[in-house]
Amino acid sequence: MADVRDIMELDQPVTPELTKEAILGADKNKKRLFNAGQKVSKRPEGMHREVFALLYNDNKDAPPLFPSDTSNGYKQTKIKLGMRKPRKWEWMSFTNPARSDNTLFYHWRRPSDETKEYPFAKFNKKIDIPIYTDAEYNQHLTTEGWSRQETDHMMDLARRFDMRFIIIADRYDTEKFPKRTVEEIKDRYYKVCGILAKLTNKKMYTYDADHEKRRKEQLKRLYERTPEQIEEEQFLIGELKKIEARKKERERKTQDLQKLISQADNQGETPRKADKKLPKKKITNPSRPSRVDTSHILQAVETAGIKFPDYKNSGVSLRSQRMKLPASVGQKKTKGIEQMLQDMGMELNPTPSEEICQSFNELRSDMVLLMELKSALGTCEFELQSLRHQYEALNPGKTLTIPAQLLTAGNEQEAVKIGEIIDVVGSPGTPSGI
Amino acid sequence: MSLPTDFGPDSGGRMKGVCIVKPIVYGNIARYFGKKREEDGHTHQWTVYVKPYNNEDMSAYVKKVHFKLHESYANQNRIVVKPPYEISETGWGEFEIVIKIHFIDPNERPVTMYHVLKLFHAAGSTMDVTIDQSKGLVSENYDEIVFQDPTQLMQHLLTNTKQLTLDQWEHNTDFEERKNKTMKTISDMRVRVRNEILVLKNRLKLAKETITQFKEIAKVQDGQQFSM
Repeated sequence: MADVRDIMELDQPVTPELTKEAILGADKNKKRLFNAGQKVSKRPEGMHREVFALLYNDNKDAPPLFPSDTSNGYKQTKIKLGMRKPRKWEWMSFTNPARSDNTLFYHWRRPSDETKEYPFAKFNKKIDIPIYTDAEYNQHLTTEGWSRQETDHMMDLARRFDMRFIIIADRYDTEKFPKRTVEEIKDRYYKVCGILAKLTNKKMYTYDADHEKRRKEQLKRLYERTPEQIEEEQFLIGELKKIEARKKERERKTQDLQKLISQADNQGETPRKADKKLPKKKITNPSRPSRVDTSHILQAVETAGIKFPDYKNSGVSLRSQRMKLPASVGQKKTKGIEQMLQDMGMELNPTPSEEICQSFNELRSDMVLLMELKSALGTCEFELQSLRHQYEALNPGKTLTIPAQLLTAGNEQEAVKIGEIIDVVGSPGTPSGI
Repeated sequence: MSLPTDFGPDSGGRMKGVCIVKPIVYGNIARYFGKKREEDGHTHQWTVYVKPYNNEDMSAYVKKVHFKLHESYANQNRIVVKPPYEISETGWGEFEIVIKIHFIDPNERPVTMYHVLKLFHAAGSTMDVTIDQSKGLVSENYDEIVFQDPTQLMQHLLTNTKQLTLDQWEHNTDFEERKNKTMKTISDMRVRVRNEILVLKNRLKLAKETITQFKEIAKVQDGQQFSM
């Protein structure tokens, strides 16, 4: 009501219509009576209508009381400032121990820190570059292609540039010495270090210059590919993926075939028993890897035919319900079953006694298996034909003979000797078959 | 009345492992007036019904049977609470009637059947339509209500039914004969399908072996070509 009143703006002082009664004051009594009946608490200015409605409803009940945490109110403690004297900063000189020239610098610092070392000095790390004596050099470090002067120069640069070999190679004195690659410099450096470390029994680092060279070359080649080359590579990768997918698909099909054959073998026995016999089944395709796991086949066998749900749930059901084809049977198969039933003069919904129900379901499951076998056989026939065509194209004048049993009525005239497969390898050059 | 108490709290009050089957017959009979009725155009008198297959009183466990007629009928939802569970009407057209059987124990869900009301005997139509001289056209079906793990109450009701009549309890259709005929057809078909499967299986095996052989020949051939 409060909402409606608010929307209708009933509480607002309506500009009184100028009527005869208003002028005469006859209406006044009436209005007062009406207002006395329901004294409405006024909504404070600025309070939202919804909030107000929560506090005061039409019955003018007391506002609901809930304990609320008001200890702090909505005030947050303010930071107290300016209670203590600030510590001092001082402009003072300092030396950086990381520098060797003892230059004086100035900066702002707390007087209490004056005695401490410049805090950033510790980040100036120095690398320990080994040094060698003349005797050590002559005894151990002489090598083909590197003079003593050049080695000294290289070690000096290593020290100056902290082993940043790219810079060392850049700053190399190419007037006095031959031009060296980064790998050559590195190789020499690590060999020198290695020999010296060996002498003092310290840790040795190994550096394979050849490997590095090859690695960089490879990277360079990868980096310098043209867009066309990259495109071609992508294309080839795509092709490879397609080939692999096709191969998988083929493998899957052979497995399905195998499963169908096993299913047909076990037909007549209960499927549960059949499962155990499966691993024994002959694998007709020797090219198929042995990684065909039996679990896959087991699972597949259960899907061949129709799997009717077993009504083990508690409750009432109609027997005829159990003859309903499950949704997993596709429309095409359903049509096929119906067609077959009609062809053999069988009604689609037989009288559902327990016995009939079970036999009827088994019959239809067999029918589905039959259809699956038929389509699998079709695929095989097609594959045989295409294999033969391929062969004929590669070996003109020769052919492969498909066993007559496998030829469907359509291409009977092509069937030659029954059940005979001519060994083409044995008699090359002579047209076999036709 | 002593009820067995061998059900635990986890059985949901149900008698685990008990399965009671109640065969029923449902359908309709119809008779032609002989002419179209002037006032409403109706041509047939029909009766749709549900009755037990065996001679027993279903009201022991059935609370009510709900027939849902075509919406053109006044009061299309008809409920029958005691036998005979049937509805008689007149009409001019065939339509699907929804039959719902509710049980005494509300914990058992009702079962629903669908029956297409038959008035006309079309040539070559389904075999469950017969013409009886005294009753007219009969179209009825057999089904079985299966009570899997019935509730305790339901089990009691289901096993304590009375005979419906002392006379011979007969149906318009000889379902036993129909069952036997169907069973024979099914077994014949199964033999045929099995034989076909056997033939196909052998062909499939041969096909696979041939494919392998072809592949090997092609492989050897390839090898020869490369070595040349």
